[in-house]
Amino acid sequence: MTDLFRRLLCTKQGAIGVVILLVVTLICVFGPALAPYSPDHMDYLGRFAAPGVRHWLGADQFGRDELSRVLYGARDTVPAALLATLAGTLAGAIVGTLSAYAGGRWDEAIMRTVDAVLAIPGLLLALLIASTLGAGEETALLAIAIAFAPGMARITRSVALAARQEEYVAAAIARGESGTRIVLAEILPNVIAPVIVETTIRVAFAVMLLATLSFLGLGAQPPSSEWGLLVSDGRAYLHDAPWLVLAPGAAIGITAIGFNLLGDGLRDALNPRDER
Amino acid sequence: MTALLDIAHLTLDYATGHGVFRALEDVSLSVAPGEVLGLVGESGSGKTSLAMAVMGHLAGNARLAGGSVRLGGAELTALGPAAMRAIRGKRIGMVFQNPATSLNPTLTLGRQITEVLERHRGLSPRAAWREAVSWLERVELRHAEALMRRYPHEVSGGEKQRVVIATAFAPHPDIVLFDEPTTALDVITGARILDLFHRLRAETGVAGLYISHDLGLVARVAERVAVMRGGWVVETGPATRIFTNPAHDYTRRLVDAVPRPHRRLVQDEPPPHEVLRAEALGVRYGRQRLFRKRAEGGGIASVSFDIREGEILGVVGESGSGKSTIARALTGLVRAGGVIRLDGMPVTRMRRDYRRAVQIVFQHPASSLNPRQRVRDILARPLRLYGGSLDEIPTLLRQVNLPPEYASRWPHQLSGGEKQRVAIARAFAARPRLVICDEITASLDVSVQASTIELLLELRRRHGTAYLFITHDLNLIRQIAHRLIVMRDGTLVDRLEIQALGSGNEHEYTRELIAASPPPVGEETRT
Repeated sequence: MTDLFRRLLCTKQGAIGVVILLVVTLICVFGPALAPYSPDHMDYLGRFAAPGVRHWLGADQFGRDELSRVLYGARDTVPAALLATLAGTLAGAIVGTLSAYAGGRWDEAIMRTVDAVLAIPGLLLALLIASTLGAGEETALLAIAIAFAPGMARITRSVALAARQEEYVAAAIARGESGTRIVLAEILPNVIAPVIVETTIRVAFAVMLLATLSFLGLGAQPPSSEWGLLVSDGRAYLHDAPWLVLAPGAAIGITAIGFNLLGDGLRDALNPRDER
Repeated sequence: MTALLDIAHLTLDYATGHGVFRALEDVSLSVAPGEVLGLVGESGSGKTSLAMAVMGHLAGNARLAGGSVRLGGAELTALGPAAMRAIRGKRIGMVFQNPATSLNPTLTLGRQITEVLERHRGLSPRAAWREAVSWLERVELRHAEALMRRYPHEVSGGEKQRVVIATAFAPHPDIVLFDEPTTALDVITGARILDLFHRLRAETGVAGLYISHDLGLVARVAERVAVMRGGWVVETGPATRIFTNPAHDYTRRLVDAVPRPHRRLVQDEPPPHEVLRAEALGVRYGRQRLFRKRAEGGGIASVSFDIREGEILGVVGESGSGKSTIARALTGLVRAGGVIRLDGMPVTRMRRDYRRAVQIVFQHPASSLNPRQRVRDILARPLRLYGGSLDEIPTLLRQVNLPPEYASRWPHQLSGGEKQRVAIARAFAARPRLVICDEITASLDVSVQASTIELLLELRRRHGTAYLFITHDLNLIRQIAHRLIVMRDGTLVDRLEIQALGSGNEHEYTRELIAASPPPVGEETRT
């Protein structure tokens, strides 16, 4: 594990990704301590204050400090995105592996269902689910998880299918190993690396998807300072106070880039051919 | 006589992440007009790098560190890409190992030849077409006109290789480079391609550089042979001399490793007690799709045979004849009809005692070990499954001539031969009575193959294990098997004692197979 981390840091993307995400994590943990104001504190004299000494990133229409809101907002955004992705990829990975192992009719049925779901664009599907279940942070999370699962199932299946063709799996069957054991000990370890990489990259999408849902009013509700909501709030004052959109927008972008880079780095670091 | 192709002091480096790797070191070779030079070496010896250097088709990280390549007196290494393109295909023809990838799948076979003719001989499309048809006829393809309009996927591997050969010879090159042209083909098809090669040479007088790992094969097609190892040419000389009286130690080892059908490695006769019997074994492949059922080839029908205690039963046949299907049926990898008997008792469900008695070693060392498990974990599984102590792991490794420290290694840290040894150790961890060897030496170098066979025979002496040895290499199987079964198109066509081979009682097809794999040079006189 430490070895993997060392190799991750050796890749340029991995190292930058780790640094960015370290900062994001610190903000999630210590955000409230770092924030100069409470996110709900209204400074009536400072309404629409431009970025300056008093409000580093400016203030919104109620005079709430934008920096504080972004710092607090990390807690509403990043863990939720992580959780949604993990739930979605885990479900997808399990379904995909089982589908590949079962083969035949089961595989056919599962994969055609996946195809059907994949035919609907991810954002649209998430929108559909979120609007059916009613707006809220939890439904947004669930919507993202459901939107992610089919794609993940497809990827895992193809990797598992390739692993299933390998002679070591045939050797395990010929040895008389149980099906569970073959899936857990022979196939899964070979599936896990691409799943981890894919998951990491998907967190980046989840951050943006979550923000999009909030922006559209289907995710977190005011007075939460979830980043998508901040962008949505600031949109009305785009001309007069662009910082209200730029600050949370940059936070979303940087976090997404961080996860993307980490995913790229992990892909290189996890390649078993280079393991020494 | 002036040389046609003259390679002098050629040195080639590859820049890699771990520094500079020297692929060729001071290589000097020459090919006279009309001569065929065989280039023999095991994997990693630099023979393909040399071919690529001659064609000016080097990888991006390759650096020529010195030396020269002259074709008819003109220096090739100094030429730019455009000038090189004019020479490649026109003056140097090429035939690669895998006909499936050396033809463009989106062009008709005819187009692939006419393109070369139009480009390198300046023929008009109409003349090129006529010339192409005549070339297809010269490489003994029937219905040449119809073939011109076919795509590569519509013809067989042997036909594709003939088209590739036609494309190589059609522009009247000075020299043709052959890089393992028969390795990807099965025995009989490969033998016919070699016949064609001999005939075309006699007709056209083209010089050749014939690259192969198979010393026995090269000795048959080339007048002179160069032996490469680790980027060096260790020995060059007339083919017969190299084979009968090698000067260099390494060459001698290579020559010794070539299977000679008349040099038996197994002398004993197995006891009459039978271990396993298959009666009317049948497998039909067909994939159940949602809406339709599709039959596929490769199945077997009504195959019966028996294996005695400690016996080596050879299974031979071309690819697709169902050899491997027998292995898969006996190990429960496919559902099979018919009856399998272990010690006379019918096996209805493959229980642990059957699984333990019948073990299998697969063809590809790279894929038969799980890349995510250490050697220790790989060997621990059968020990746990069939009852055994993990303390046996060092003994198991030593038994296959691997140091016990290998237990903590990952598969990618092993060479192909070492991986195959671990797979053999895994099979023997179960203390089996029958080990199925499915083409286990096919992807190994000759010398590694020889030591693997030696190991198997040693294990048999020690444990009295029987082998079901599946192979396409008749020379090899004639050295070790007690009996042979011959498969063709999923049916068993011949079943014979090894001594009966050559007595004239064989099936016609068996005779054809044997004719297609003649014994190596120097042995022919002794038949």
